[in-house]
Amino acid sequence: MSKLTEKHNYKGTLVCVEGIDGSGKSTQLALLRDWLKSTGHDVIFTEWNSSELISQTTKLAKKKNMLSPRTFSLLHAVDFADRLKQVIDPALKAGFIVLADRYAYTAFARDVARGVDPQWVRNVYNFAIKPDLAIYFDIDPKDSMERICSNRAPKFYEAGMDLKLSNDPYESYMIFQGRVIKEYQKMVDEFGLIKLDAMDSIHSKQVRIREMLREVLNNKGVNI
Amino acid sequence: MAQFKTKHGYEGLLIVIEGTDGSGKSTQLQLLKKSIQAQSYGVIISEWKTSRLIANVIDDAKERNLLNATTYSLLYAADFADRLENTIIPALKSGFIVLLDRYYYTALARDVVRGQDIDWVKNLYDYAPEPDLIFYLDMPVDVLLKRIIGTTGLNYYESGRDVGFSSDFYKSFEIYQNKCLEQYEKMKSTYNFISIDGTKSIDEIHSIMNFEVQKILDSGVLY
Repeated sequence: MSKLTEKHNYKGTLVCVEGIDGSGKSTQLALLRDWLKSTGHDVIFTEWNSSELISQTTKLAKKKNMLSPRTFSLLHAVDFADRLKQVIDPALKAGFIVLADRYAYTAFARDVARGVDPQWVRNVYNFAIKPDLAIYFDIDPKDSMERICSNRAPKFYEAGMDLKLSNDPYESYMIFQGRVIKEYQKMVDEFGLIKLDAMDSIHSKQVRIREMLREVLNNKGVNI
Repeated sequence: MAQFKTKHGYEGLLIVIEGTDGSGKSTQLQLLKKSIQAQSYGVIISEWKTSRLIANVIDDAKERNLLNATTYSLLYAADFADRLENTIIPALKSGFIVLLDRYYYTALARDVVRGQDIDWVKNLYDYAPEPDLIFYLDMPVDVLLKRIIGTTGLNYYESGRDVGFSSDFYKSFEIYQNKCLEQYEKMKSTYNFISIDGTKSIDEIHSIMNFEVQKILDSGVLY
């Protein structure tokens, strides 16, 4: 049985943001973090592929194009498992609000878009704790590309160039990220991700997110 | 002649030697390699935890005691995937005899002893091709303990000290190796291990292995 579908019993609260690059999730999380800190809450922030154990290795392997869909998936799982046990789990036990920039859903979207079996990767991550609030920023690939590629070409793995969908990185990006988005959209029902329109204003999205978090916290008896 | 079919569908042969540390696996692999080579077959040996992608990260993380049971499992699974995709499967496709020092049975034994759910571990390796032969060097625990202490000494993870069985080094080592042996014992029939008494002489063990390999070669599978 996967922990991802069972409510956790920790004192703390887990919030994650999801979506492809350029969907504005990091901006929203930063605003949320500042607000929570200014209102005196204990907050911890953790982001995808940042563990001490493996993130440098993964980045280097990406640079050298050494990864297959399978090893890409497993290395990110190592990173996630390390952060879960070292950062997320202890912080939740201590009653922190944990803000995660990307969570297991990123793996489900990207790895499956790379051809990894959906059930296989879900099984790999079955030790992940279910977030109290998981927000998905929906954007189409074209808008995302315009935002992130205004001054650079898409990177090899980000464009899914390993899948040989097209020799043109821009075209490959559009196809690959289109697949990633499809996977995210399926997860709205599967995991109860809350979908927000990435093209809404920064302000209106932040208002919605604070409302939702306030409700989650109030249900836990935390006033904010 | 009835054609022997490989179990994985590739042209080459996949032969595995399993057993705990100090059971004599590498010695036997070298002997087997020589005897197969002498008959003009292409042979390669691939050992556990040797991927170019991640092997040194595992060594480094072990040295600094950075691993928990989950990252331990996943790192080994990544190492395995890299070797499988870049070494083992290409060699099998081109008709080599691939001799493996440990296969995913090692992960099953070690990870389960570390408290991981067996189905979770099996899922990590569920795409691995089935070997044509699996030799298991069966060693009584007391002989094994002496062998390891007499050669490499008590290593932190091989003594299962990360699991916290006992603060006494010897005790921890004994418990850990016993638990690994229990897991291997369970796998013997499930995976059709050819179990060989590891206390036999090097030559005796080699001739048993050679006999089994020769049966397959004589079936003409690699022509």
